[in-house]
Amino acid sequence: MSTTPGPASPVVLSLRGVSKRFGAVQAVREVSVDCRSGEIHALVGENGSGKSTLLGIASGFLAPDEGSVEIGGRPLATASVADAIRLGVGMAYQTYSQVLEMSVAENLYLATPPGGRPAYRDMEAWAARKLEEFRLHIPAAALAGSLSLAERQLLEAVKALLAEPRVLLLDEPTTALGPEGIEQLHALVFERSRAGVGVMYVSHRLPEVLGIADRITVLRDGVSQGTFEAAGMSEDALVTLMIGRPLQQAFPDRDSDRGPSEVLLEVSGLRGDRFGPIDLQVYKGEILGIAGAEGNGQGQFLRALTGAEHSTGTARCNGEKLDVGSPLGALRAGVVLLSGDRARESLFPVLSVRANTTIQVLRRFGRIGLLNRGRERAAVLDLVRRLKIRAASIEQPVLSLSGGNQQKVSLTRPFLLGAVQAILADEPTQGIDVGSRFDIYDALRAKARDGVAVVVKSSDPLELAGLCDRVVVISRGRIVDEIPGAELSERRITQAIVGSRQIRRAAAVPAPERQA
Amino acid sequence: MTLEPKLSSLLRSPPKFRGWMPLAFMALLVFGLGAYAAVSKDAFLTQYNINNLLLITMPLALASIGQTNALLVGGFDVSVAALMTMCVVTASFTMPVGSAWYVLVLGALALVGVGLATGVLNATLIRVIGLPSIIATLGTLSILQGVSLVLRDHPEGAISSEFANAMTKSVGFMPIAFIGVVVLAVVWDVWLYRSRGGLSMRAVGLDETSARRLGTNAGRVVFLAFVVCSLMAVVAGFFSAALIQTGSPFMGGYALQSIVAAVLGGASLAGGRGSFVGALLAALFLSLILNVLPLLRQPTEYGQIAIGALTLLALVVYQGPELWARLRAAWETVRLSRSAAARVSPG
Repeated sequence: MSTTPGPASPVVLSLRGVSKRFGAVQAVREVSVDCRSGEIHALVGENGSGKSTLLGIASGFLAPDEGSVEIGGRPLATASVADAIRLGVGMAYQTYSQVLEMSVAENLYLATPPGGRPAYRDMEAWAARKLEEFRLHIPAAALAGSLSLAERQLLEAVKALLAEPRVLLLDEPTTALGPEGIEQLHALVFERSRAGVGVMYVSHRLPEVLGIADRITVLRDGVSQGTFEAAGMSEDALVTLMIGRPLQQAFPDRDSDRGPSEVLLEVSGLRGDRFGPIDLQVYKGEILGIAGAEGNGQGQFLRALTGAEHSTGTARCNGEKLDVGSPLGALRAGVVLLSGDRARESLFPVLSVRANTTIQVLRRFGRIGLLNRGRERAAVLDLVRRLKIRAASIEQPVLSLSGGNQQKVSLTRPFLLGAVQAILADEPTQGIDVGSRFDIYDALRAKARDGVAVVVKSSDPLELAGLCDRVVVISRGRIVDEIPGAELSERRITQAIVGSRQIRRAAAVPAPERQA
Repeated sequence: MTLEPKLSSLLRSPPKFRGWMPLAFMALLVFGLGAYAAVSKDAFLTQYNINNLLLITMPLALASIGQTNALLVGGFDVSVAALMTMCVVTASFTMPVGSAWYVLVLGALALVGVGLATGVLNATLIRVIGLPSIIATLGTLSILQGVSLVLRDHPEGAISSEFANAMTKSVGFMPIAFIGVVVLAVVWDVWLYRSRGGLSMRAVGLDETSARRLGTNAGRVVFLAFVVCSLMAVVAGFFSAALIQTGSPFMGGYALQSIVAAVLGGASLAGGRGSFVGALLAALFLSLILNVLPLLRQPTEYGQIAIGALTLLALVVYQGPELWARLRAAWETVRLSRSAAARVSPG
């Protein structure tokens, strides 16, 4: 711990011993952080380390379970965004805070506390002036939903600055921005910090952080690893602080003798709303990992491949053109998605384990339109045993199972579907206990051994390093790095996600052309 | 600056006419049907008939205006009908024939108390306990209906005629109360679309998370919306009591009708959109259909069919801009994938 005494500027934001739990997950544990007037204080950590939760608490959006928040020396007694704004907090959310069906002017107007805003009828002219002041050239009357993601991200920052806050909280403010946008945003941040505003800057891009921060606080699994002067820090030292989680997880063996194999899934020039163009080949029997910081288009890419999201470009499976227009096309070709949103997209929570397992292949257990329960039960029981699903009975509703066992139930489907070619797993172990994880890894590896191509998108570098044969890293919707099996390690993946490598590559790539 | 507008400014400007369409459509129907009835039957455009039409519109108009509040925050309140019944039954005890004015005032306050209690109960169930609004208000609907039946198991107990006369007092064909409700609806719409409070309410209905992040107290907005909805049902109950003048526990399907009127008036079931004037016009239209059919010697059953068909038609018309945009987007996709296919495999 090396919290060096900084300049004697006053503390504008102070979090003391803050803890927050979501269900079984302790998102933040007894974290204390200060932000001084005029400083840019970066908060770094891996996905899920508690950065966004901490800012959510500081902005009054989330109520901490324990600990206190002080803004400009005055306590934020209850969690209230309006109170926090009044005390001098402006926050730009990672997932934005715009009502898409309302105009830019209306959104800005809502975000401004009484005193700062004009009469209602002058709203549009006022908003246009403000946008001009922040050099953001979008029409004030435009619907927020009609803006590009980059415009929305800059608008979010402008919104945070409208009420002239003493503390500016920025949560991953550059994920959708190109180099110019980043420059514009940073200029704005510097200008404000010189004027005495304290800035809390959350980012996973370490070069960016080292470039602008005065101090850096590192979070790991919701616990602070200390606050450091940015001047004395290197990317390498930060990565060491961010990872270093004890390795408690076992992984199934890789097939070291797996010889060269044929391409099974081939993607070329696929692009969608938040990604692309992406070119990618996945080999038969391989587990390919997709890494990246949250919100860089990885999830959308997987979903697009299975027709769950709109995209253009081509994908081939086993040499045949894959119809990515609808989920049915992908399913017919044997491409299965294990959705990251189990409860909503993959399982029927109130139905039994049996019904969830066989719902896609009921025809097989039927005769003249009636089910043969005996055959269905036998098939389900076999899978329950193979995947080690712990349920009192196969008639138990899936809803009452643990997260891990729920995920195993959704994993039964590719085992039952006859002609599965590829499994695309979106965060297959999110919210799942350590014990069940191994069973899931084992099941995925078993399918790979059968010659299926497996793609695993995960926000956990440790998991990808242990499970995969090869990992590609996606940033801002494009593949920026590919890590072969021999080089795989948590550190190597984390470095690729946060590292300078990607910035350099991104700079080498011509700026994304505008889709007119 | 760096960011050029991605879409043409034409595409960006929000469809302003969308909000006006329900109002225009309802006004058109009201005047169209009214004009037709006036031309074909002399009995329609009489002082007595118009006065009667406007009076019987009052309960539905007030209930629909209340319902619009619930719909605006993305909820339903099906308990309004039972609350109106409860008011009529209560009034037959607290505001009997021959009461002095102060008894009437106290009696009216008792009704307001019932409404306030119902509204707070509904809002608490929905906001504090987190029940879906349709289930929560179905529960209170059943309770209120049961209590009404306990108090009066058949229509009984005359309600003060002084009270009834005061409520239905008219100048010429125009009931004074109707002028009041028109002013109320207009002022409320101005508030909704021309003030910060209205903006917050619509924001909460459209996207609660974003509205909260922008500093809106979403809990309070939703809570108040349901309390106000119940209070409006009480005022609707006053008019029902004045029109029926008997403590009747059997009153019509105001729950669904109020939702239909609010939706015809432009309210979205998903929340965030609606118009109080629109709800008033739609309530007037629904009453007009039922008023006109006997005059035209048509069975009133046709009214049910007409109301249903027109509701569906109106909703399709209101969806117009979105349907058009979706069609255009679909066409765009087809065009893009065609040109992409052409690039991949020439010939």
